[in-house]
Amino acid sequence: MDNQTDNILSDEEVRKLVLARLSVLSPDVIVSLGSDGSFTRDQLVESVERGDRVGEKLAEIQMEWLRSFKDGVMV
Amino acid sequence: MKMIVTKPQHDVTTRYLSAWAEEVIELAEEKGVDVIELLREKANKKEFESRVNKLSPRLIFLNGHGSDECVTGHDNKILVKSGENHEVLVGKITYALSCNSAKILGTKVAQEKDTAYIGYADEFIFMAGSECIRKPALDPKAKPFMEASNQVMISVLKGHSARESAERSKNIFRDRYIKLLSSNTDQDSLQAAQYLWWNMRNLVCLGDGDVTA
Repeated sequence: MDNQTDNILSDEEVRKLVLARLSVLSPDVIVSLGSDGSFTRDQLVESVERGDRVGEKLAEIQMEWLRSFKDGVMV
Repeated sequence: MKMIVTKPQHDVTTRYLSAWAEEVIELAEEKGVDVIELLREKANKKEFESRVNKLSPRLIFLNGHGSDECVTGHDNKILVKSGENHEVLVGKITYALSCNSAKILGTKVAQEKDTAYIGYADEFIFMAGSECIRKPALDPKAKPFMEASNQVMISVLKGHSARESAERSKNIFRDRYIKLLSSNTDQDSLQAAQYLWWNMRNLVCLGDGDVTA
């Protein structure tokens, strides 16, 4: 993550935020993340806790999305 | 006019993409387009190259996994790769519903004349419901993602330019994004909105955006 992002939230805070978001998903939801595969809610939570590639990707998406609000730019 | 559609079906993701491609195929056939489907094992490099070279389709709709340099077919085997056989897409309008391939493959292909490559510069993400896994076309969780994605090919088939078609798809992504963002009845809606936003942001039209079918 870049300096701007670091100024907003630490990596640990981002991880907690992503976990909080995932924890409210319904248990039957599946997320397709391209060639990484398809994951249940619980598998996504495990990935974030482990900090693997999928977990890192989810954190990146979360941060970019939050930044879009800060910047006021949808795309 | 001819259109080649690849429909690998070896995992959940590719089964969803294939199922939702039917909407595009039906519209194409209504409009008199000659549709050539490369289904399951037929979605392989040899078959793909052979059909493209023999039939010279104007439209190519790739459904499958991808990386920066390639799009794959059935069983994740490479179908088209930058520096290997990317020239097979020259002179065509390609929509790659796959992850990442716009980064290098799309950029390479788009350098050629009368060629457009619409695809994603990062992961294409969608949500699904486990209860619909055997009937993906009826999955309400996947619907906003697939409707927005399909808008690329629907718009191309309706005569819009490649650039306009990508923009019209982004508009559908944006519409579904706002609806999900403001929903208070679906516990998955906020996360789904985030992934719609991600896809919208990473959808790009490369090359000659003015080309039409």
